[in-house]
Amino acid sequence: MFSNKNQKVHELIMEQFANVKSVLFTFEDFLRVACSEESDMDVLRELSNKIFEQEAEADRSLRRMIDSLGNAAYLPSTREELISIGTKCDRIANKCETVCRMVVLQQFRFPSEYHADLQEILTITHKQFKTLENSISAVFSRFNEMLKDHSILHDIRVLESAVDAIEHKLLEDTYNRDMGLAEKQQLAKFVSLVCDISDIIEDVSDTILIMLVTRKA
Amino acid sequence: MIYLLLFAGLFMGWSLGTNDAANAFGTAVATRVVKYRTAVIIIAIFVLAGAFIGGAGNIDKVAELSTSNMVLASTEEVFGAIENGTVDTLRLKSAIKAAIIFACAGLTVFVMSYLKFPVSANQSITGAIIGWGLCYADYTDPAVLSVNLPQIGKFASTWVINPVGAGIISFILVFFANKFITNHLTSLGSYDRIIKIGYLVAGAFASYSIGTNSSANVTALYYDAAYAETGVAANLLTDARITATIGGIAIAIGVLTFSKRVMMTVGSSIADITQMDGFLVIIAMALTVVIMGKWMGIPVSTSQAVVGAVMGAGLTKGIKAVRFGVMKNIAIAWVSSPTVAGVLAYAIAFLTRGYFG
Repeated sequence: MFSNKNQKVHELIMEQFANVKSVLFTFEDFLRVACSEESDMDVLRELSNKIFEQEAEADRSLRRMIDSLGNAAYLPSTREELISIGTKCDRIANKCETVCRMVVLQQFRFPSEYHADLQEILTITHKQFKTLENSISAVFSRFNEMLKDHSILHDIRVLESAVDAIEHKLLEDTYNRDMGLAEKQQLAKFVSLVCDISDIIEDVSDTILIMLVTRKA
Repeated sequence: MIYLLLFAGLFMGWSLGTNDAANAFGTAVATRVVKYRTAVIIIAIFVLAGAFIGGAGNIDKVAELSTSNMVLASTEEVFGAIENGTVDTLRLKSAIKAAIIFACAGLTVFVMSYLKFPVSANQSITGAIIGWGLCYADYTDPAVLSVNLPQIGKFASTWVINPVGAGIISFILVFFANKFITNHLTSLGSYDRIIKIGYLVAGAFASYSIGTNSSANVTALYYDAAYAETGVAANLLTDARITATIGGIAIAIGVLTFSKRVMMTVGSSIADITQMDGFLVIIAMALTVVIMGKWMGIPVSTSQAVVGAVMGAGLTKGIKAVRFGVMKNIAIAWVSSPTVAGVLAYAIAFLTRGYFG
């Protein structure tokens, strides 16, 4: 009886994760368009609206997952950890939505010198997210293996450091550019927002790591 | 009126209940694996069951220790009182002596707790009994020596055997659980289920062991072990099972009324072991207390057993995982609780020789 209810929670967590993934993938499309030479604001607006809807669906699935925990046979501490993982994943979707909305509202365009680095950030973040997806799935289906070896979470941290390094370089470039302080701050803000996604993924992996370490024999 | 003296033991039982409940369910309640309400109900039921089913055996053993230490009247004394027509006086004196022993043990627990020293209530009671005996028993008599010295030796040896035994049992349980259970749980849900069921079973077993072990300490001094032979009640209680059950009720009331704070404190302080280790430690403690009760023939300290079991669990992760520095405080408690209670009892026994002598 309880195992069915626990299975339901697992399904809903993976469903929410899939919804967040949809947001992230659309966001990647969005940023690719934003970083292309002929970025079309109408296309960006359209993608932004799509992200808005996908983010709303991710929100709903988070709520369904949290509701399902009430019937599951998890311990209170596990429930808290699962809610923490869910809400942090939701922050990934929120962050994507925020970036898109601000780009569209401010009709912002990234300087062409930034495009390659931003694409690189997207590629790394994508890899990070896939690794996170595998580790969350493993917690539910190969828990004993994860307890023994959670080096997969270390990979997420390594990827985050790579994003950090690019962010640092971009911020340095930004403040060395020949432009007004307000523009510099606007550009720096956008760079940081894009890089925040990688930070949040690392946050989720840290929560999983704590979950494993506190149960490790 | 004489039955009012029983309240000294019942009060001791109540305080044991408020403290020992933490050993059974402290970790589970503090980490919210088991709700406080569920925990206290399980403890109350199983403490009572332990007292009713297994408490009588320990009552006889504590009574034996108390008789050889002149706290309880021997069969010969009772027969003498029957002949002299002073059974009522003997009965009153026995009940007063019991109350004095509990007062000494209770005062020791109170003062040492106030001074923030770790303390064992079970050990304080036994210490007070031996302290009383040191004043009254004739240690120049080889017959007395042959009975009392082994008793004292047995009591002191539990300071080592009890925690070491619990440590060994805990080490074996944790080692094999990690090897054959934790490493084979494929889902988070199954891990949580094992933890929850484990804590409930361990808590119930620990409560049962507290019932068998501690109920004797609470009321055995009011028990007339000679009643079967004399047929005359020379103390307040004459049935071992009823005596143990009354002790169990006192402990259960302590659990139900005032155990939450202690439970949260104890649970948090040993929370540096994993949840899986936590319930195995409790099972090890309960097993040790039951085995020691049967083997050594005297109630032992559940707190000592818990400490030993925690160390045993820690050792499965290597010698560095054990904080041996903590042992200093615990060693102080093991030696000081019975010693202080014993000195107090000796002093009171000495001052009241005119009445009891």
